[in-house]
Amino acid sequence: MDEPRRPRSSKRASPGARLAAALRRAAQAAAERPETVEEVPPRRLAARSRRDFLLLGAGALASATLGWWLLPDRTKRAWLPAGHDRLDTLAARVGLTRERRERALDRVLTFDDDVAEALYSKDRRVRTYARPDPRPLRNNYHGRTPGPGYLPGWRLELSGLASGRTERLAIGELLSRFARHDMITRLVCVEGWSHVVAWGGLRFPHLLAAFPPAPGTRWAAMRSEVSLDGRGNPEPYYVSLDLETARHPQALLATHHGGAPLTLAHGAPLRLVAPMKLGLKNIKALTHIRYTEAEPADYWAERGYSSYDGI
Amino acid sequence: MATSTVSPARAPADEPVRIVRKHHALVRIAHWAHVPLLLGLIASGLAIYWAAPVFRHAPTAVNPRGDWLADAGRALASVFGTSGDARNWLYERMSIGPQSLAKALQLHWLLAYLYMVCGAVYLVGLVRGGGWRALLPRRSDPAESLAMLRYYLGVVPHALMRKPWPHPPVAGKYNALQRGAYLAMPVVGLLVVLSGWSMHHPATLPWLERLFVNYDGARVVHFACMVILGGFMVPHVVLAIADGWDTLRSMVTGWSRRVKGASHG
Repeated sequence: MDEPRRPRSSKRASPGARLAAALRRAAQAAAERPETVEEVPPRRLAARSRRDFLLLGAGALASATLGWWLLPDRTKRAWLPAGHDRLDTLAARVGLTRERRERALDRVLTFDDDVAEALYSKDRRVRTYARPDPRPLRNNYHGRTPGPGYLPGWRLELSGLASGRTERLAIGELLSRFARHDMITRLVCVEGWSHVVAWGGLRFPHLLAAFPPAPGTRWAAMRSEVSLDGRGNPEPYYVSLDLETARHPQALLATHHGGAPLTLAHGAPLRLVAPMKLGLKNIKALTHIRYTEAEPADYWAERGYSSYDGI
Repeated sequence: MATSTVSPARAPADEPVRIVRKHHALVRIAHWAHVPLLLGLIASGLAIYWAAPVFRHAPTAVNPRGDWLADAGRALASVFGTSGDARNWLYERMSIGPQSLAKALQLHWLLAYLYMVCGAVYLVGLVRGGGWRALLPRRSDPAESLAMLRYYLGVVPHALMRKPWPHPPVAGKYNALQRGAYLAMPVVGLLVVLSGWSMHHPATLPWLERLFVNYDGARVVHFACMVILGGFMVPHVVLAIADGWDTLRSMVTGWSRRVKGASHG
């Protein structure tokens, strides 16, 4: 008489009791199982162990070789002043040359850039903040900060346009023609520091609408002719920017910083602020934008950094 | 900590050997692959850290960037000596070197992708081999942990006094301290990957950046995970060696001769 009643009683069980039963079953499934003892013929065991230790040795040798190959030349010299040449010669014997290493590491950057591009969407907004960092923004001009001499004659030159013309726009024209957009976003440097900054300026997509790029163009070659090197000699700075990023509503051609017009240290009178890119893409004292079909040159990509730089 | 009572040398050549399976092949592969990956990630990661240290004090004349690791380097250089810039002492030895940011980033991305693959291989091995069950915390862990700590503290004094000092009973594959440490590794590994992505894509993955409060929060967590993962290696290697050949071998071959109830106390 007990047997048929059991299912009914379990159906009537309270939710608490059912939860407790489910938890008990989960605990049972997660409980450590007792060890099962196996009996193996010693010869077979020895052969298997030998194979596993040989595999470990081969793996260790392979990782040591690949690790050495991947080390930068500077590190090799620092760590092994006496024998680094000889080891490099040995590695080259098995095909692990310096040229191959550079190509392999370039491919790593391309792969990582592809991942970044896949994650990017021009419909997704970048995080904005209620107020900027109180500290002053660091001037990370790679060379010397240019003097004010270029400001009076400054024009933004646009080329590669659908109209076929080359436009030269003064800062007053840009300020009067386009609405100002303010935003507080984080500038992230490739070095690892970052800063929340209050920017103001015109939206890049508005400039693209007013001066449409030629059909088929996919890139903006952005250039600053007034950039200087560390000794103060002219050294143009140039970055590539994909038009997908330029069309982002938070891609800004900034004229203001912290509520005031841009200072020389931060790229007066006009700079790019693309918070979805590393700081090094955010070119200061912009003088030229040329729309191109092929990917244009990029200052830091030529120096071993990635070229897409999406963050 | 003797192995089986039957020593292999004295066993007849054809008598079967009693073994227990310890680690799934994928767990073993991931375990050993972690060693070069982690070392490479630390060497490239510290070189990235050099470019903009996150732990800083007010600038001083000798340390204008206020980098605590530069101070540590100077302290170490005053003990061990150096031919170069004492502030770079740590970076020269534990990283691929200062002023190598572009190279360090390339290497870090390469190794980071491999590290994630390695972590996935480990998790698959953990599930397929059922090893995850031995890592879960249990109610007896606090008391068992205290007993293990007491045991570890007493090992050396008792050995010096030549007095017996029995190992506390271990119910499962690991004792409570091992269980905690071995479970912490995948958790910290997941955290180091998440904080890494949070720094790599704070703009495209804003929810991930928020998870670590802000960008610098992710940097602090990433650094702390590095210290934990790197720091784990030291006691782990010491204890694995102290535990004996059978333990080391089991991470290569997967099997152990320590059959419960046979001789292991």
